Amino acid sequence: MAENVDTATANTSSGFFNRFISERSTRELIIGLLFASPYLTLFAVFMLYPLAKGLYMSLFEWNFLRPSESTFVGVGNYARLLSDPVFWNALWNTLEFVAMTVPLIVGLSLVLALGLNKELVGDRLLQFLYFSPYVLTVSVVGLIWVQMFAEGGIGTFLLGSLIEGSPLNSNLWAMPSLVITTVWWQTGFYFAILLASRQNVPERLYEAARLDGAGPWRMFRDITLPHMKNGLLFVVIASTIFQFQVFGQPFVMTRGGPSGETQTLVYYLYQLGFETRQLGFGSAVGYTLLAILVVVSALNYYIVGTNNE
Amino acid sequence: MSNSSASNRFVDRIGRERLSRIALYVVMYGIAIAFFIPFWRMFQLSVTPAGLVASGEFFLIPSDVTFAYWERFLVQEPIIYQWAFNTFLIASITTFLVLVVDSMIAFSLTRLKWPGRSVVLGVILASFMIPGYVNIIPLFTVVNNLGMVNSYWAIILPFAAGPLGVFLLVQFFRDIPKELEEAARLDGFSPFRIYAQIIMPLSTPILTALGLFVFIWSWNQFLWPLIVLNNDQLYTLPIGVVTLRSVNALAPNVIMTSLALASLPLFIVFLLFQDKLISSVQMQAGTG
Repeated sequence: MAENVDTATANTSSGFFNRFISERSTRELIIGLLFASPYLTLFAVFMLYPLAKGLYMSLFEWNFLRPSESTFVGVGNYARLLSDPVFWNALWNTLEFVAMTVPLIVGLSLVLALGLNKELVGDRLLQFLYFSPYVLTVSVVGLIWVQMFAEGGIGTFLLGSLIEGSPLNSNLWAMPSLVITTVWWQTGFYFAILLASRQNVPERLYEAARLDGAGPWRMFRDITLPHMKNGLLFVVIASTIFQFQVFGQPFVMTRGGPSGETQTLVYYLYQLGFETRQLGFGSAVGYTLLAILVVVSALNYYIVGTNNE
Repeated sequence: MSNSSASNRFVDRIGRERLSRIALYVVMYGIAIAFFIPFWRMFQLSVTPAGLVASGEFFLIPSDVTFAYWERFLVQEPIIYQWAFNTFLIASITTFLVLVVDSMIAFSLTRLKWPGRSVVLGVILASFMIPGYVNIIPLFTVVNNLGMVNSYWAIILPFAAGPLGVFLLVQFFRDIPKELEEAARLDGFSPFRIYAQIIMPLSTPILTALGLFVFIWSWNQFLWPLIVLNNDQLYTLPIGVVTLRSVNALAPNVIMTSLALASLPLFIVFLLFQDKLISSVQMQAGTG
């Protein structure tokens, strides 16, 4: 590629002045595209094309082994989805998971960020401990917490008086167990972002407020929160979108059980695509999930954006 | 402050400040200990003899210690080395590819003038809206048609062209002064030399941060390798430890040893690059 670019440079500098302008812009287009093409090729093949193909597939009863023998069903897959109890159950479970996880993660990471901003002894160690679960992979996280919730585990030890056996086998406690696991795993990431956001609030604002006799709560409400608005907005939206796609925790810890209580949307997507091979219907579920996520992030942006005004 | 309040109120205030300081330490260290317990549980079980685990009793420090399980994975059944090698190879190639491909297009979008480049940037940034997992079914058929199932490329290529790197690098490249480049151009530098010898060296900090984040992200990938790999010689660590679980269903200490081994490499990376990694996370907030 270096050679191509070098000859292009040589051509113009040797100079046909009357055709200089147009030649120059074609040359710029060629060099520009040369630099962009590796990314654009990957982007087209693995992002744009599957996106279009998914929409197409969702209109068929897709035959995985012989795609040409797929049957066109129009919006049939979407109609089927509306009357599919498994889909509604998965959607409900996902919403339940998000509704518990996101406030806990945002709240806890805010507490940690505000606390660590106060120059504590050993703050690097604390930061290390809060963040460290985030560098683990979801399967390691899931399997550790399976043991936490097993007999003799600390999780069960603490919840012991409330339930018998492992909470992962309890209809009521399985989902909250996945929530606790996720909060442990993910909080460090959002804590790091909020810590940076808090450290960007100018200290002189607090000094001025203190001189005016403002208490801690007023300073928090009138200075800290408004100045951390962008950080908080990012944390709420990013964690909502990420948690909506929960898969590894139920896959590793509960297999979607007990009796479907922890089956989530992406888990259902996985089962349709790679266990029962209903690729057409699965694509319809994927597209529905995409639509839900676009609406959710727009709503999030709207609600969080106006509340902190 | 002190002259406006009575002296006993002042003392009271000092006392209250000290009290809230103590409470702060209790809360912050309390949460840190709670965060550490699962790690402790993992390590503790990996050195606890099977008999003690089977008793199902709760203990913080086991009364007896064995390194038999560590020995089993490190010496007797070294499949975990193969998995670690696969994971390392995939994460390294992915990181290298992302850095090269993303920096090239970011260079093109910020430093070269060609028609349509703002549209291209807009489309790439719009893909932030599309969460990775919704697309896995059509993506799998694409990868399958390309004959890449059960190969490293199936994991490396599909997520190499993400929007995050482009976004971060475009912002960074924009702030590099034009003068440097113009001087180089007068010296007869080609665009390729400007990219390789001026822009890239100046961008080392952001490239390191992005690379570190991509490496860890790739190392920890779970759902996608689970779909495209079904040969245990090709497994990555995240997939491998799950399959071990089904083989050793009743031996938590064996599982915990494999988990400790699987998480050790990234822990070392995190220890070495704590600040770099945390700042690479913090940069991402700018993408919201």
